[in-house]
Amino acid sequence: MPRRLIPACVLSLFAAVLAASCQSAPTPPASAAAAAAPAAAILRLPDGKPNLNGIWQTIGSAHWDLENHQARGGPVLELGAIAAVPAGMSVVEGDVIPYQDWAAAKKKDNYDRWLERDPEVKCYLPGIPRATYMPFPFQILQSHDGDVLMAYEYASASRVVKMGPTEPPPVDSWMGQSTGKWEGDTLVVDTTGFNDRTWFDRAGNFHSEALHVVERFTPKTPDLIEYEATIEDPKVFTRAWKIQLPLYRRHDRNAQLLEFKCVEFVEELMYGHLRKKTGNEKPFAAARMRWP
Amino acid sequence: MTIRTRLAIATGASAVLVALVTVAGQNQSSDTKAAAPAANWTPPRTPDGQPDIQGMWTNYTNTPFEVFDESDKPDFYGGDVDGKGAGTGPGFIADTFGRKLSKGRSLVVDPPSGRVPIMEWAEKQRDYRLLHIQDDWVNFTPWERCITRGVPGGIFPPGYGAGYQILQGPGYVAIIYEMIHEARIIPVDGRPHLHSSFKLWNGDSRGRWEGNTLVVDVTNYNDKGNVATNIATQRVRSIPQSEALHVVERFTRVDEKTINYEVTIEDPKVFTAPWKVAMPLNLEPDYKIFEYACHEGNHAVPNTLSAGRAQDRGGRASRSQ
Repeated sequence: MPRRLIPACVLSLFAAVLAASCQSAPTPPASAAAAAAPAAAILRLPDGKPNLNGIWQTIGSAHWDLENHQARGGPVLELGAIAAVPAGMSVVEGDVIPYQDWAAAKKKDNYDRWLERDPEVKCYLPGIPRATYMPFPFQILQSHDGDVLMAYEYASASRVVKMGPTEPPPVDSWMGQSTGKWEGDTLVVDTTGFNDRTWFDRAGNFHSEALHVVERFTPKTPDLIEYEATIEDPKVFTRAWKIQLPLYRRHDRNAQLLEFKCVEFVEELMYGHLRKKTGNEKPFAAARMRWP
Repeated sequence: MTIRTRLAIATGASAVLVALVTVAGQNQSSDTKAAAPAANWTPPRTPDGQPDIQGMWTNYTNTPFEVFDESDKPDFYGGDVDGKGAGTGPGFIADTFGRKLSKGRSLVVDPPSGRVPIMEWAEKQRDYRLLHIQDDWVNFTPWERCITRGVPGGIFPPGYGAGYQILQGPGYVAIIYEMIHEARIIPVDGRPHLHSSFKLWNGDSRGRWEGNTLVVDVTNYNDKGNVATNIATQRVRSIPQSEALHVVERFTRVDEKTINYEVTIEDPKVFTAPWKVAMPLNLEPDYKIFEYACHEGNHAVPNTLSAGRAQDRGGRASRSQ
């Protein structure tokens, strides 16, 4: 029965592997709808280009650590299992990020001093590619004049990917300068002009201002984009390296980006010691930290 | 080029611009006219049939936000007034770069006095907050805290960083605000507003097309934001918004290079009557938006608070002027 097969395809949202098995499932007797929309067809705009418009998000724990990592306890004892870190398999091709020796030592130091150094703690702009796999949705809007807006819920970050030849960036910035082109059905985004202040994850993986990122967004089904980013930074790594992870369409009813203006949530952390005391403050509980 | 160098250049350029505009304004103030929709101009359409308002827009202006003093003679500003002192909308002059600058009596076009009808309590709160920025970050405007300039405050002419890129895609109009790097994504697909339990800094925007005009209805505000944040908005700066704020914006492209922007602001807890701002947005295709990474380099808030605590300890604030 076709009705029994369709939910299986919907469930494939949770794993690219299942999506593949869904496509190879026995073809049901063709109803009109099934014949018109085979599972693997991608959405297209009237001009034939892939239609990536929508709200997307990764699933997994790459935002904790791009490399292989086991589950571990969180940094605040009182938060118990809530802030514990889930395990995850490396999204890096070849599993390991090829650091130069000095940089491997710095990465380890970053990991040990995570809460002090991670720009996410302070609600700073996430940079690229980190913005893509933060645990927040982001929206792709392909404008009618070709340029592509990528707006991230986290920290109101965004970038406009200007379609056309790459241009020298006028200044260094947190989000870099992105230019794009289509290679077949793949949107290729070339980004340079970074500063050296963003990280790749919450595990201290870092880069210098020489970072150059080339991302490839390849739609596989209407609801799945294969995302690849090639990361090049001759000051920090011994060679270019690549991450790969799927982006899933958010199907939630009335999905829209909401506000996550996190500056408000870090002001006490950053400026609290400078606030005038009124005597009416409710004291914070003394949290027991266990990091590293 | 470092950011510092760029700022220095930008500041210098602004000073030159102001000087040029002042001269131009003096020469042309007698023949300014309100921008009326060009009779034979039809806006281009996007492939899905919507009026095309895409592009890089700016709104540098030398029209004051409010009428400074109601006793001022209206023609003092060379603006668009009806001869009885009532503002009927901004007039326009062109600066030497070909930008159209509004040159009116005030950006506030309604009520006719050109003055925002602010309730007394809100003015008192503003005054308290501006006098106590050394006590607590909540006394700064959300702009200085690097959170937002708000809606509609985010589009009031800021003097610098006045770039707005409009993009349109299926079902959406997006406005990229240079300041605070905000991407405001407006659905135009008829969906209802968010549930009333959502209270947002920038409210919840829903757009629709009325002829060639994009009408955006904004509700679901929190009571922490400000109606306007930058100093060019004069006494409206730091006036609070309440959860009852209701904003209706109208974007009408009247010729290739101009969008007429109008906004009606209604907040019965803060204002005694609705009021309205009108101004043009000018197409400036070569304008580049730079990253406004504000919070990442916010020294103003901690330095100001730190100075306050130094004073509390009996230290004397040193003043260089």
